[in-house]
Amino acid sequence: MATYITAINEMLAKEIADIPHAVFYGENIDTGSRLSGLARNFKVADSSLLINTGNCEYTHCGIGFGMMLNGATAVLFAKQLDFMLLGMDHFVSTYQNIRAHRDIRTLGSFTIVVVAYDQGFQGPQSSFNALGDMCSVARVPGYTLTNNQDSAHIIRTQLRQPGFRFIALSQRHSPKEFLQLELIHVARDSAVFQYTEGSEATIACFNFTTPEGILLHQKLRERGLTSSVFSVNNVFPHDWSSIKRSVSRTGRLVVLDDSKSINLLGYALLHEVAEACPVSKRIIVTREADIDFGVSPDRFQIDCDALVSRLVSEPSKEPTVV
Amino acid sequence: MNTRANFARQALEMEMIRLRHWQHIMNEDLKKKLFTVPIHVAFGSEAIAVAVSNIMTSDDQLALTHRNMAYNLARAGALKPVYEEYKLSGSGVSGGRMGSMNMVNPARGIVYSSSTLGNNFSVACGLALAKRAKREPGVVIVTTGDGAMEEGGFYEALVFAKSQRLKLMIVVENNNHSMSSTIEQRRCDIAIEKMCEAVNVRYKLLATNDVFEYVPVLSALRTHVDEQATPLCVEAKLALMNQHAGPTPGWPADPMNVDIKNGMVVRDSVDDPLHVLKQTIGAAEFDKLAAQVSSQKWN
Repeated sequence: MATYITAINEMLAKEIADIPHAVFYGENIDTGSRLSGLARNFKVADSSLLINTGNCEYTHCGIGFGMMLNGATAVLFAKQLDFMLLGMDHFVSTYQNIRAHRDIRTLGSFTIVVVAYDQGFQGPQSSFNALGDMCSVARVPGYTLTNNQDSAHIIRTQLRQPGFRFIALSQRHSPKEFLQLELIHVARDSAVFQYTEGSEATIACFNFTTPEGILLHQKLRERGLTSSVFSVNNVFPHDWSSIKRSVSRTGRLVVLDDSKSINLLGYALLHEVAEACPVSKRIIVTREADIDFGVSPDRFQIDCDALVSRLVSEPSKEPTVV
Repeated sequence: MNTRANFARQALEMEMIRLRHWQHIMNEDLKKKLFTVPIHVAFGSEAIAVAVSNIMTSDDQLALTHRNMAYNLARAGALKPVYEEYKLSGSGVSGGRMGSMNMVNPARGIVYSSSTLGNNFSVACGLALAKRAKREPGVVIVTTGDGAMEEGGFYEALVFAKSQRLKLMIVVENNNHSMSSTIEQRRCDIAIEKMCEAVNVRYKLLATNDVFEYVPVLSALRTHVDEQATPLCVEAKLALMNQHAGPTPGWPADPMNVDIKNGMVVRDSVDDPLHVLKQTIGAAEFDKLAAQVSSQKWN
């Protein structure tokens, strides 16, 4: 069975192989480990370019917007999400500038495929993983890849779209077996995926937490409880009514969000669910900062047994933060 | 001089005077606080702007800075669409959506103007790389100032453009100012020629403010960029002859007291491209053209 990184690399390699007049670029994408396997065995169309670049992330981001402005397809592959902080000015200001006078449908395509370093030992400097924060500031779409279904759908439908977006991978999932799920439903904008249908609990997985959500689903099943598992892959879900409908049936919601942020999208879902289903039991599992508003621990681990116990206890109107 | 060359020369003369006059009109309304957006008048940029505009082919593209008035007027060939953009009117050159510092005119090759210092370097590299990928003709010209070129993106763009053999012409307008700070007040001297030499990028200094010199020189440099598929850097020495950006809160009154009543020429020195033009074509011819331009209703 392929690992997460190998399987996604194969999907990407297949998708980009026939895109004409495109530019695929990034640091070390054609040498060495090819970004730890992310860009391995890339072959591009004769009319396209595969460029191994120097180390200048800010400029890489501006280049993508320039190519997009001229109608080209540009895909930047980057090792770490925190490197992209250098491009924030372009994400916010340059793209806003372009969108102010150009219809996105008339633009080329610019996608940044990037790995969030969240494996637990990168250290405090290089472990920024909150894709949602970056997308929120710039008001741009950003998609996380966590399993066979969301990866295939997002790469197929979003990679070549006009305009700009992030597609982000998780380093902590990279060496693991690629999660294989059945798909019940996917929103047309690739924002919300549903993998299981159950009647006792609803599990909403944000950022890269789908594997943990599936684990909780399995633990509940061992106790004879069925659950609906959703993943919210885009930071701008236009419609998560399917999650709210599920909670209205199950009466229980668990939100998992591993983003290192004090501004979680999961809180917005909790708020909406609280208004729509006030009697539901709601639990959110996040990373707690280990200093006030400061560094969060690298590892994201959930205590499934404790969560199951909480879920099966008496309903509470107040959300619980774990 | 043959008829065609004479005609081209007269057209340049008229473009220079017209561009100065239009800036005067804008400056007078700026002093009356008729604009809500900050406007960066560019007295002193006429020679380089008119020359750049004249060497561009229909396939070329411009990526400008916030101080883009001279280039936008030169490319538009008219005052009204630019003026209307400053008024944020729908009839403006960018539909009233971009205002001053981000003004674009794609139909005339101005595809991006950055109000953020230095963001246009990398965007210009992307424009040029897209041309290469799509096998499209033309060069990309990116302008900057002695302030914006302090940004790290300038160096990164030089390296990237050279590495990827991009058809990119960088024009550094060195007016010795970043807002109110002179170079000496804010940093050490930067030898742009040596920066270019370090990455094997050709460099050319333009310092005469003579549009008749600039056009053939820039035309030859553009051909070099296009035929050799290589970036190139031009440094144009300019003088700052007007206030920073009009009604900027806290900004003092125009220190140079530029006034349309004082005539086309702002400064009687080679700092002023219109002074240079007047010396070149003679006062009688210059005054005749100036009177002709001034008598027309432009706005």
